[in-house]
Amino acid sequence: MKIKINGKEEVSDKDSLSLSELLKIAKVENPEMVSVQLNGAFVKKEDIENTKVKEGDEIDFLYFMGGGKN
Amino acid sequence: MKKLKFISKILHTKFLKEDPHGSLHMPVYENVAFEFKRAEDLELAFLGKKPGHMYSRISNPTVEHFEQRVRAITDATAVMAVSSGMAAISNLIIAIAGSGDNIITSKHLFGNTYSLFERTLKDWGLEARYIDLTQPKDVAGLIDTKTKAIFFETITNPQLEIADVKALSSIAKENNILLIADTTLTPPYIFNSREFGVDVEVLSSTKYISGGATSVGGLIIDNGTYEWSKSHKLKADAKKYGPFTLLNRLRREVYRNIGACLSPHAAYLQSLGLETLPLRVDVSCANSLTIAKFLEKAKKTKAVNYPGLNSSPYYEIAKRQFADKPGALLTFDMESKEECFRFMNNLKLIRRATNLNDNRTLILHPGSTIFCEYDTETKKQMGVRDTMIRLAVGIEDKEDLISDIQDSLEELK
Repeated sequence: MKIKINGKEEVSDKDSLSLSELLKIAKVENPEMVSVQLNGAFVKKEDIENTKVKEGDEIDFLYFMGGGKN
Repeated sequence: MKKLKFISKILHTKFLKEDPHGSLHMPVYENVAFEFKRAEDLELAFLGKKPGHMYSRISNPTVEHFEQRVRAITDATAVMAVSSGMAAISNLIIAIAGSGDNIITSKHLFGNTYSLFERTLKDWGLEARYIDLTQPKDVAGLIDTKTKAIFFETITNPQLEIADVKALSSIAKENNILLIADTTLTPPYIFNSREFGVDVEVLSSTKYISGGATSVGGLIIDNGTYEWSKSHKLKADAKKYGPFTLLNRLRREVYRNIGACLSPHAAYLQSLGLETLPLRVDVSCANSLTIAKFLEKAKKTKAVNYPGLNSSPYYEIAKRQFADKPGALLTFDMESKEECFRFMNNLKLIRRATNLNDNRTLILHPGSTIFCEYDTETKKQMGVRDTMIRLAVGIEDKEDLISDIQDSLEELK
């Protein structure tokens, strides 16, 4: 499936992918400091494990720098 | 390993990036700009999609480590270190409110905070609605659709009044408005703001945290308890940023644009100060009680006011809210302003200076200093008398402090 990560188009050979799996595959830096947006909406930390990504989704990994921690 | 306690958390807050030399202290990154390997990385960092410091007015590794340490001891969702306590208040209010909005507070505020509300922000259309916050039942009547927050000081300075924080929190929650506490006199370790229902804490870290007046700084601590989708001003951001809505608004707009950043050197000093905060709090609170009891018995002094005294109307609530550590600020009255000045001038050890929670004990006549810009009637409303002296107690040996006060009182005869 085709998805967009941080504005860049990516192709995954998997049909089903959770956001937590995507965090590992994308080798996100400082994962404990990252916040996740799915199609422009904030995803709660407790929902990252079970939220599935589908064809055409846009995922953004955000950092606020400093004192924020998800 | 069990969950770490307060001091251990401060001392063992991990660096977000390993130091190449194994430094135990976060070094002072006294630089402005940070280089990126690729232009694309710089773009991502500007968009907040790559962790990296770009420019020290916006974020800096030394400042960030100080923020992380404060986050570790408060378990807050977000912490921002700023250039002063006043910068913490002004950044926060500008982020959450605008022209036509109002906040509910008390006239019993630090003089500069009152001036910020009544002069600086009033000119930009913010209304401050004043009420006695020690009477929470009267607060709800002032709230309307334009009310953005209740703002209070956990111990007012210099009136030393203490509001019932849980009662204020209930009112704020019922009305979907923010509860903001200025905890300068009761920083983390004395007061657990989250436990008492405070949404956002602001404080002057210049005071207790800096480790003895080593540097000027302030903190904004977001407990993550407020649902930002209920804020008219920030609800659009809430969808995108969830619990980090305030942090995003500050870091990517208000704090960045106003430029009241904490310097890396000050962050280093404040981080060091934080390490010994509990030790200094314990000694200064114990000294305060000893001095307050002495002044209560002294012949020339009257109206001794310290929340740790049984005679204080706030004794019970202070015990409940501040874990038997009711701060290190006390006031007392003398016969006249002239006698206040003569007493202050007689002192040999206690310093005449405006600050509090310095390691040294400092003395001040509030009416002629912090509140000098106000007329007599306004000072009366603010609970500031010309006969009042403020003592900000430090960590000296208590016998030396008592001796200095005793000698000074005897010289008045």
